[in-house]
Amino acid sequence: MTVTAFPIGLLISTAGPYAEASTGMLAGALLAVEAVNAGPLPVRLVPRFGDPRGELARYAALGDEMLAAGVRHVVGCYTSSSRKEIIPQFEKADALLWYPSHYEGFESSPNVVYTGPVANQHLLPLADYLVRHVGQTAFCVGSNYIWAWENNRVMRDAMAAAGGTVLAERYFAVGSTDFDQVIAAILAERPAFVFNTLIGVSSYRFVRDLRAACGRRGLDQPAVLPVASCTLSEPELAAIGPGAMDGHITSSVYFASLASPENDRFRAAYAARHPGGPAVSADAEATYVAVMLLAQALAAAGTDEIGAVKAAVGRQVLRAPGGEVAIDPETMHAALTPRIGRSNAAGQFDILAEAPAPVRADPYLIGSASRFGALAPRPRLRIAS
Amino acid sequence: MTERRLIQNFRGMRAILWAGPDFAPDTLDRTLARLGVETARMEEVDLAGLDRDRDVLFIDGDQPLAPEVVLAPGSALPLVPGIGIVGIEAPSRLKLLTEAGVTALLRKPVHAATVYSALFLGVNNFRRLRAMETRLAEGERRRNGRRFVIKAVVALVRGQGLDDDEAYARLRRESMRRRLELEEFCEALLLEGGGTIPAGWPTVSREPMDHRHATYPDDDGRRDGVADADGGPCGGPDQARRA
Repeated sequence: MTVTAFPIGLLISTAGPYAEASTGMLAGALLAVEAVNAGPLPVRLVPRFGDPRGELARYAALGDEMLAAGVRHVVGCYTSSSRKEIIPQFEKADALLWYPSHYEGFESSPNVVYTGPVANQHLLPLADYLVRHVGQTAFCVGSNYIWAWENNRVMRDAMAAAGGTVLAERYFAVGSTDFDQVIAAILAERPAFVFNTLIGVSSYRFVRDLRAACGRRGLDQPAVLPVASCTLSEPELAAIGPGAMDGHITSSVYFASLASPENDRFRAAYAARHPGGPAVSADAEATYVAVMLLAQALAAAGTDEIGAVKAAVGRQVLRAPGGEVAIDPETMHAALTPRIGRSNAAGQFDILAEAPAPVRADPYLIGSASRFGALAPRPRLRIAS
Repeated sequence: MTERRLIQNFRGMRAILWAGPDFAPDTLDRTLARLGVETARMEEVDLAGLDRDRDVLFIDGDQPLAPEVVLAPGSALPLVPGIGIVGIEAPSRLKLLTEAGVTALLRKPVHAATVYSALFLGVNNFRRLRAMETRLAEGERRRNGRRFVIKAVVALVRGQGLDDDEAYARLRRESMRRRLELEEFCEALLLEGGGTIPAGWPTVSREPMDHRHATYPDDDGRRDGVADADGGPCGGPDQARRA
């Protein structure tokens, strides 16, 4: 058997406002690279690292360097703005970006494989769960960019479809940490829940400050003003800190606490590779999955020419830690298993509900919304606890 | 006027490609398929059967083009939403696309990441412009009818000794009772009275206005953005049109 070495790029920030999440991505990627290189597939991955440190301009510069060096497959980017920044370069060079993060959808570049969830796999199940089990009024707080804008638009439509209301939407610059005013507004409005699309340090500070403000008023925040999101992960719970990490509702296709043989093996390997952390997270798992799928597709194609790899990845099925993952050849998005979890004081998530099988991605919501964007009823997640 | 609702899911629509033989449709076809939009070629369809709620035209500006072929009668807009595909950016070609009433553009070579935006703008701008055209036409028609209102007011003032406010209020009340526009009502009333108010009015027994149908040839104001599948905000067609 001929073993072929392929260069791949890892374009992942380990500093900057969302480093807690993206550091996990790098940890997952490294674990997968080493697993592939020690494993039975006839490929060896030769990673080239680039750390944009969360700066948009550095994504473009580092991406260019990778492509100029002959790299045809790059795994990385966390925010949509960073992905959109480098897609033109990838299209020009006919290279493939393997994008592992959850995102808002409404994109299907021929030069991207999307292995993270889109709205019908994270936000719609969350909205559905919240209106059924938590309440009918939402207060939206987000970082001022596309992730929050579009998620809040979908949340508003989803709430309206369920007879609920979004009371307010407030946006803050990425990295903001002053939330006194909005917390006062939330306490005055008393929504059934807060929908949090803040990212990184803003999110952690907001959650801590909300918990403290509720405490000062004698309110049990997780019970009366739960914070829901599609992003909060285990390393971020650690960043929030022990006083405020519990009771938050998250929609995700992966939680470290999932009970399955694949996840047990993944957690054990991850802990052995990264004993000092970051904690296992959805971002780590998704990036691990992206690299594993890339390796399988390279092996099946026998080349890193992107047409052949794209054709091959559509035929791959991966028994991933979060369940079976397959890429839809039509949209190049992954079928994934939606789940709802609630954080606990141990920094993990208790799983509240999950889909019985992987759900196909619907990046343009053509199967989930009416022509005017109203959201159709969805199959409910199975209540797990 | 209630806010016009935007179409954001195009599944079930049909894209009709009006392009020359050298146009490469692969990216457009593939991207439209992802959006749930089927495709057909212009030469395969009967223009008379086009449905502006379902069809959208993609018009290649680089081919020989007679824009009037796709224009709706009496309108500056095409029969169905039109999206221009621009290769040669020469004013002569762009002029033809403008004359065809396109409401969005795609640049050649067609790029997958621009198709959804073009559909979104093309379809929704078309709906907005069409609603404005309909409102303009309706305003024009009503403006033409104002002279009958003035004549009827003058006739009532002269014939029944009312002041003009009272005369206007009475005409308006009666037109609403009969669910007619004031202008239509006054025109019919004067017609019935041979240029003046019929004797004994308003106690006439017969409904005037048998000579005109109370709906309009263009019913789009009722359809577009009002009676949609989501049951959008709607005060009922009568209130919407007659208020």
